[in-house]
Amino acid sequence: MEIRPVKEWSAAIMINHWAMALSIFVLIVTGFYIADPYTIYQGETVDKFFVGNMRYVHILFGIFLLFIFIWRLYLAFFSKFHADWKDFFAWLDFECTWDQIKFYLLIKKDPPEHCALYGPMQSLAYSGLFFMIFVILVTGLILMGAGYHAGMTAFLYKIFKPVENMLGGLAIVRYVHHIFTWLFILFIIVHVYMAFWYDAILKEGTVSSMISGVLFEKEGK
Amino acid sequence: MRGSDDYSKAVSNHYKQLMEYCKINQERLDRELPPPREDLNDLLAERGVSRRDFIKWTSVMTSLLMLPPMFRPALATAAENFSRLPIAWLHFAECTGCTEAFLRTSYPNVADIVLETISLEYHETVMAAAGHQAEQNLEKCMADFKKKFVCVIEGALPRGLNGQYLRLGPKGKTAIQIAKEVTRSAAATVCIGACACYGNIQAAKPNPTDAAGISKVLGISTVNIAGCPPNAVNFVGTLLHYLMFGGMPPLDSIGRPIWAYGQRIHDVCERRSHYDAGEFVEEWGDDGAKKGWCLYNVGCKGPYTFANCGKVRFNDSVSWPVMSGHGCIGCTEPGFWDTMAPLEKPIHEASIGGGERTVDNIGLVLTGLTAAGVAAHAVASAIRHKGKDEEEKHD
Ligand code: HEM
Ligand code: HEM
Ligand code: SF4
Ligand code: SF4
Repeated sequence: MEIRPVKEWSAAIMINHWAMALSIFVLIVTGFYIADPYTIYQGETVDKFFVGNMRYVHILFGIFLLFIFIWRLYLAFFSKFHADWKDFFAWLDFECTWDQIKFYLLIKKDPPEHCALYGPMQSLAYSGLFFMIFVILVTGLILMGAGYHAGMTAFLYKIFKPVENMLGGLAIVRYVHHIFTWLFILFIIVHVYMAFWYDAILKEGTVSSMISGVLFEKEGK
Repeated sequence: MRGSDDYSKAVSNHYKQLMEYCKINQERLDRELPPPREDLNDLLAERGVSRRDFIKWTSVMTSLLMLPPMFRPALATAAENFSRLPIAWLHFAECTGCTEAFLRTSYPNVADIVLETISLEYHETVMAAAGHQAEQNLEKCMADFKKKFVCVIEGALPRGLNGQYLRLGPKGKTAIQIAKEVTRSAAATVCIGACACYGNIQAAKPNPTDAAGISKVLGISTVNIAGCPPNAVNFVGTLLHYLMFGGMPPLDSIGRPIWAYGQRIHDVCERRSHYDAGEFVEEWGDDGAKKGWCLYNVGCKGPYTFANCGKVRFNDSVSWPVMSGHGCIGCTEPGFWDTMAPLEKPIHEASIGGGERTVDNIGLVLTGLTAAGVAAHAVASAIRHKGKDEEEKHD
């Protein structure tokens, strides 16, 4: 049996992936502080700006995430290496999806043949994740627009204001934003576990593939 | 923008045109409206408000309405004309608290005195007439001042049982019927207070009478002077705008005048620097409370609430909730009893279905379950796929 390296991810996708992972991590930490700030007792008021800074970092990375997300969508449609937007619908092949579930539930020992870049459950999870990112971006931009009245923020706030009214006010917008934070945490646990699990079961180097871009396929299988 | 000539020219042109418009409108209103019922100047003198105080007040109101000083005399005229605007004031499902708050200020300022001159053709709380006579007054107002009077509504409309939760007057009409008839012949409809605007506590869960705000029930657009109770200044200012320009001021997407409800409490709050510094009142009466720190952790809803309370304050501008040490409860926002709860804790500590079931606790439990599920899966996988490498080597 030979092991052959295959280029799986382009450099753009890898940079995009880790930029997104970093942003989401920073946003979760700063977001929870904004939701539940503790008091800084030392020092004079004039010397302190802790919540201000936390909000600054949160909004900065929020805007990063916006652009990273737009970039990812661009890659999905126009990547020179592999425009993968169709692969996000791999789960529509229900038979394959069912076999994949059996593989995950350890009923079957081998995964079904994948015809797309992602496995069916993987494609479902990533589609869901993109939806989550979209929702948290929109709610985040509304929360931002409520306090700043200039430039791009004001423009986007104008567009999204009907969403705020539909949800029933800023309080609900903030609540939805908070709930989705937890969905991200759940996603990360399963996602990272699955990356390591694939590595352990299939031995194709899934974890390192997001760093090197290379997946090792076993030939003669 | 002093430096840019074109810009300042454009601005002064704009205001010149607006001034023309204002003059034409005031002349038209002068012709159309009935003569004044009360002389504002006499009333002010009677209450010991000097001419100078009145002028000062008109300056403040002019700037509150976001107009340049040149509009001050026009605003003074509008204030003097206040008693000429015919008004029908309807009460539906509510507590009359807004009327009480407007009428019973212990130190009435100019706005309150102007409000006192209001020409109420019909007002269930303060009118002397009753029964059929009262009904006739309302009908007369609708006939005499068709499309000229302003309909002010206090209270929500219960929609349950075909509106029969609320029947009013000698003919026993439902509130919805009355509201439909009166608003149809009014020049404009102004909703006073959270009940008329968005349903307020009558519409809070579980809303047994299926109550809702005026514009939602009737499908008309209303001017919403939100708040529980709203500030008299916001009502008076909006009507002054009407008496100057013959129309209601620009509204936000849920009907509130932008001049009064355009900014968030949180963004003009005097405790904001403590928020940014990370200085919070953690418990009622603690050191932070004594130092006037931010009230976020004891439930301030200023970050989600659009209103000018911090700027105009209440009771002759003596104080407002955040100044006196309790957080804002968000009373100018739709559905605030439901969306802003719990009132004395941050929003994410709302219980979902009672007890300690907050989003964060549910999130923690789900995270724990996911981690446990993942660990169990790892162990099961290790057993199931054991010896796989050996098998493959033999292939
Ligand atoms: C040990 C760490 C991780 C490894 C090995 C890993 C690996 C991978 C792989 C192989 C993919 C599929 C490639 C792709 O669809 O682009 C992927 C997708 C993704 N990962 Fe990770 N990941 C890790 C951590 C994270 C973390 C912490 C996040 C943050 C939430 C994250 C977010 C995403 C997203 C958003 C996608 C799918 C969207 C996309 O295709 O760009 N990953 N990951
Ligand atoms: C994965 C991404 C994100 C996570 C996990 C996250 C998390 C959070 C959390 C937990 C809060 C506090 C909510 C509360 O008080 O209950 C928050 C607030 C906020 N977030 Fe995010 N957020 C994310 C993305 C964004 C984005 C993309 C933006 C904007 C572009 C944004 C802007 C804001 C703003 C403006 C606030 C309110 C802060 C304030 O008004 O003081 N967030 N976020
Ligand atoms: S007291 Fe309320 S409105 Fe004022 S800064 Fe704190 S959270 Fe904002
Ligand atoms: S401070 Fe908040 S709760 Fe109080 S009156 Fe103003 S908007 Fe309503």
